[in-house]
Amino acid sequence: MVRIAQALLKRLGGMAIVLALVVTVVFVIVRVTPGDPAAVMLGSDATPEDIAQLRTKMGLDAPLIAQYGQFVLGILKGDLGQSIFLDQPVTTALAARAEPTFFLTLFSILIAVAIALPVGIFSAVKRGTLFDQVVVTLTMVAASVPSFWLGLILIQVFAVGQGWFPASGYGGPDTSFLERLHHLVLPAVALGIVNSALITRFTRAAMLDVLGDDYVRTARAKGASERRVILKHALKNALIPIITVIGLSIAMLVAGAVVTETVFGLPGVGNLVVSAVLRRDYPVIQGALLVVAAIYVLINFIVDMLYILVDPRVRL
Amino acid sequence: MKSALVLMTLAALAGTSSLAIAQTTDGVLTVATIGEPPTLDAMQTPTDIVLTIDQHIFETLYTYDTEWRSVPLLAAAMPEISEDGLTYRIALREGIKFHDGSDLDAKDVTASLTRWMAVNSKGKQVAEVIESLSEDGANAVVVKLKSRYAPLLATFSQASIIMPSEKIADTLTDFIGTGPYALKERKPDQYTQLVRFDGYKSPEGEPSNYAGKREAIAKEIRFVPVPDANTRVEGLISGQFDFADSLPVSAYERVEASGNAKPVIYENTGWASLNMNMKEGLLTKKALRQAVQAALNPNDMMLAAFSDERFFSVDGSIFPKGSLWHTESGVARYGEGDPEAAAKLLEEAGYDGTPLRLMTSRQYEFHYKIGEVAKAYLEAAGFKVDMQVVDWATLTTRRADPKEWDIFITHSNFPGDPTTINTITDSYPGWYVSDEKAKVVATYMDAVSDADKQKAWEGIQAVIYDDAPLFKAGNFNAVTGVSTGVSGYTPTYWPHFWNVTPKK
Repeated sequence: MVRIAQALLKRLGGMAIVLALVVTVVFVIVRVTPGDPAAVMLGSDATPEDIAQLRTKMGLDAPLIAQYGQFVLGILKGDLGQSIFLDQPVTTALAARAEPTFFLTLFSILIAVAIALPVGIFSAVKRGTLFDQVVVTLTMVAASVPSFWLGLILIQVFAVGQGWFPASGYGGPDTSFLERLHHLVLPAVALGIVNSALITRFTRAAMLDVLGDDYVRTARAKGASERRVILKHALKNALIPIITVIGLSIAMLVAGAVVTETVFGLPGVGNLVVSAVLRRDYPVIQGALLVVAAIYVLINFIVDMLYILVDPRVRL
Repeated sequence: MKSALVLMTLAALAGTSSLAIAQTTDGVLTVATIGEPPTLDAMQTPTDIVLTIDQHIFETLYTYDTEWRSVPLLAAAMPEISEDGLTYRIALREGIKFHDGSDLDAKDVTASLTRWMAVNSKGKQVAEVIESLSEDGANAVVVKLKSRYAPLLATFSQASIIMPSEKIADTLTDFIGTGPYALKERKPDQYTQLVRFDGYKSPEGEPSNYAGKREAIAKEIRFVPVPDANTRVEGLISGQFDFADSLPVSAYERVEASGNAKPVIYENTGWASLNMNMKEGLLTKKALRQAVQAALNPNDMMLAAFSDERFFSVDGSIFPKGSLWHTESGVARYGEGDPEAAAKLLEEAGYDGTPLRLMTSRQYEFHYKIGEVAKAYLEAAGFKVDMQVVDWATLTTRRADPKEWDIFITHSNFPGDPTTINTITDSYPGWYVSDEKAKVVATYMDAVSDADKQKAWEGIQAVIYDDAPLFKAGNFNAVTGVSTGVSGYTPTYWPHFWNVTPKK
């Protein structure tokens, strides 16, 4: 217990440093990128005077150090600032987009794991067979396919062709929760398939590593059933790399579904980040990236903690 | 017996028609737009997407007809103008209600126009010539000018929206207008939901562009931001959207062949131009700007950008055919793409090989393609070209600095008044300041009748061609798509959905 508490404290300290770095780096990057939110907001016909006036109104003409100080102070108070473009608090904008991103991530990872674990395990067990060869080839293809391309194909077939799913969006004003989830099916399948490729390959490789080990042979020699040997003895020992890759996939899905969200017109966090970059909406870029980084760090932290639970030998 | 039969037939017809109305008026129109509006405050941010949505909620005193002439909307008639052209009395239509149930009166108009003159760029220009703005009873306003100002009615036709005086604030929080639809809910990046305003009082007359009778047939309009053009196409074909804005020209055949939707072309949506820097750098020399004019081939640039002649036209007149302001006056060094003539001009101007910085953006793919062809033609003429491809946000920042560029590529729509085109403004990037221009613009400003304005505009266009502050590449058309079953849609620059019947 003490060991877990020590690891926890060590990790929390590291997380704080990473997040402080993210805050600073993101602030600097968005400010040095050319482009002016006021000019973007006012459109191509805006005069320099209009742009200057809006900059003043939005506080963009304040010295950079003052803007940075205000940003950091805000974070400490739980305030990520006010969106320039959306004219609402960044936390509100993020909260409004959390639902589609959360469920998209959840469904995608469920689909990916549901495909990857059985296929990866079976492929390792049947190493060198036709099934294994097919799995290796298909996972290579799936890993190479951009999720947005797969998304477009799914739209063509299942939205335009069959009419089973909507082509885009997250529903209108009177859409029920289930209908909103219906909008997530195609993007979740697109992301799930692409992510399943990586997890399958890791699962297969991790299982191959342990299937030849002495304790597996011993288990078989003791007369344990093949199912017990694979699931209890081999899989348990192969879990660390598999958990790692699943954790990374979840973390990457939170912000990495950007293109898929754009293709499917989903109002998620990824889409918000892309729009904010194009609009040069500094507070939203900063706030969203900070939250995404925090989630990323948190997932990695959870994965590290899971290591301890799965394998008591692990020292953090 | 005969009369009984007639009565029965009439009753049956009445039944059918009321049934048809009941079906159509319950419909919802889902409109896929190119993106999320930054705000619904059209005074503050009069961009196309804001104006497209806002025109259903808010109305102006005047609006544009097919020829882009200003005609009454909230105003009862054209203004009574004093003989010296300095006083405009504008009577208001009576019985108009705002969405909150309050009545429109002169106080609302003066308060709205006062805010517009404080926050809107065109409004600020108008503020400089307005002596006073006052109420004349409850149903008329009087505008007194310091000097004659020809574009007054055009500026009262766009973004100068009228709202209840009590709702006016620096930052608008209530979006209440007199339009055929009222705002119900806005979820940024998801939808803007408008519902039919049952208390709407329409202007009379045949629909003509934005003018004439407006009937809110659909119960609801939902504007859904769909930034990805392919997704707009697929959503239209799959029946998810009733209307999709700004489709790629490459999707035309696909939409047409789908059977579920039809493509609609709106001709002369806007014009693309290469704007030149007259303040600093190479192109401060008029001869070099004229060499640019001579070198470029508009047809090739537009063909590269829009791929098919259905989607563009090449026309030296700044305003297209059909517009009140179309004229061939002064059109010179346009349409040929003559590298030899350009080379001669370069030699006469003593061009020393300094690179010409041509700035364009890939955010608008047609800007980039126009830039590629322009570069080839300019190089053929002897210019050394440094083409800088940046994103649009970067371009808008850089173009504000005269040290950064020589030419930038942009596009504009055709405003209701010719003097509101950006290039005519001294401060617009390019900084076109000339005595000749000032003189002809002053003549225009002094004009009161449309005939006098047209004549004055001919003079301005001639001076623009001689001074060469820009090169017009050509006019482009917009492709939009309408779902089969939706009827009554008439293409306009800012697509509108009153008088449109949703599919059953």
